Amino acid sequence: MTSAIELNHLTKSFGDVLAVDDVCAVARSGQVTALLGPNGAGKTTTLRMLLGLIAPNSGTATVGGRRYVELPDPVRQVGAVLEASGYHPGRSALAHLRILATASTLPCDAPMRVLAETDLAGDARRRVGEFSLGMRQRLGLAAAMLGDPGVLVLDEPTNGLDPPGVRWLRGYVRALADEGRTVLLSSHALSEVELIADHVLVMAHGRLLRSSSLAALRAEAGVGSRVRTPDPERLGAALDAAGLSHRRTDEGVAVDATPEQVGELAALHRIVLHGLEGTADLEKAFFRLTQEPHPPVAPSMSAEGVLS
Amino acid sequence: MKALLSAELLKMRSTRATTLLVLATLVLAVLTIATMVPGVIEENSPISLDDPGLLAIVVGSGFGAPQVLMTLLGVLAFTQEFRYGTVTSTYLGEPRRMRVLVAKGLSLALASVVITTLTLAVTLTLSIALIRSQDGDVTVAAQFWQTVAAGFVVMAAYGVVGVAIGALVPNQIAAVVGVLIWMLAVEQMVIPLFPEVGRWMPFAAASSLMQLGPSYGFDDQLLSVPMGGLVLVGYTAAAVVLALGITPKRDVL
Repeated sequence: MTSAIELNHLTKSFGDVLAVDDVCAVARSGQVTALLGPNGAGKTTTLRMLLGLIAPNSGTATVGGRRYVELPDPVRQVGAVLEASGYHPGRSALAHLRILATASTLPCDAPMRVLAETDLAGDARRRVGEFSLGMRQRLGLAAAMLGDPGVLVLDEPTNGLDPPGVRWLRGYVRALADEGRTVLLSSHALSEVELIADHVLVMAHGRLLRSSSLAALRAEAGVGSRVRTPDPERLGAALDAAGLSHRRTDEGVAVDATPEQVGELAALHRIVLHGLEGTADLEKAFFRLTQEPHPPVAPSMSAEGVLS
Repeated sequence: MKALLSAELLKMRSTRATTLLVLATLVLAVLTIATMVPGVIEENSPISLDDPGLLAIVVGSGFGAPQVLMTLLGVLAFTQEFRYGTVTSTYLGEPRRMRVLVAKGLSLALASVVITTLTLAVTLTLSIALIRSQDGDVTVAAQFWQTVAAGFVVMAAYGVVGVAIGALVPNQIAAVVGVLIWMLAVEQMVIPLFPEVGRWMPFAAASSLMQLGPSYGFDDQLLSVPMGGLVLVGYTAAAVVLALGITPKRDVL
């Protein structure tokens, strides 16, 4: 996997307020990378600097090694959804997309193609002012996909979506990453990031606090697993041999290890599992990360080869 | 640039506001002509019915409201993008913002040709009918063509200045109200009350270029035609340079 997006010592202040403080990170192709943090963490400012909408005080943000403003054909390389209100309410969805397609010399059929992909083909000629928030979010995705880009940047994409909308978005984004595209999305909701992201960048107070895979974050959080097996004795022995602490409960076996670790161990020893789920309290870990004072993460290579 | 220009023209055509503004302006232009021609036959009028430049002056006077419209259309071309947040997708499509600004300026200049032609068609027809009804002179002299040509230049300049104002003042209400106060109140008061200063103002410069001094009764106070043109070009260039300097540096939050 290659690094499609690189943030290198990115810093931005608005007057006396330091919005983004020396952030270094990458997002890789074929992955969904989530920029996770509470409101005011600096996520949106970071994404807008990446997209050339806000000028950083120092540092660089690049896509494929180039600053956004230097991309020869930006719409074909990067698609972005930044806000649900970025539409003229008097314009139809089709007119909105036609304007974007015309400005970027995209094929005439591109607007209808992306409207169909986002289930909006039937509403193409309706004014955007009549759209629900969920429909506007989908229109935003349609606009982002106009140029069939390899990189997608989504700012709080599930804001205002109802549960079916969130589920649809999750599947859509996952499918895009599985096609090899790079997806960088911001969110303040850990629950949705858990379901969609491969890699997490945790931000708070303008600083990048952690850059790791979701599995590693779970492990760091002291996470556990709950296992149901018809052969708890053999599993217990395998866990003992692996040095993983465990205990029997009414619901099965509780293990102080990630579900991935337990699953791999069970497979190795050919132990049948009837159920395996994580019991990690990621929420607690997230709050601990974002609310306690932390030094900024040093820009060194982690074990995963991700600048953290 | 051609693609950006097409997109900007599409933006203008894809909302009702443009059509409504143009229609309202044509109505105002008609009202201006309709009230002006009867005024010419009054005794103290600075122009008379047998003036060979009458048609040029009457038709040219009909450009007052369209000048305001062109400025507002220019202002809206940018401020609507800020108001509705579409500026984000515009800059994502073309991150070199100077090109966006130039495309918007060119689109307003092109739109001004259409609006000026429409205005001319309506005001000329009405002017000829009204002047003839008063047994006035409807000679199409050289001055008429000079006024018409100047009208095209003035309308394009006002559209471009409007775009620059919109780029400099992203708040739509502030920009629109500011433009209306300047064009309908400040200039209209300062030009006749303080002609030494007022004749250097954009409206006075435009009036000089269009040779419309007699219709306002301060012909001798205005700049010469070439100087009026130069001043108007100067204002346009200054506004564009300022907008080109500031637009690329402004954060889009």
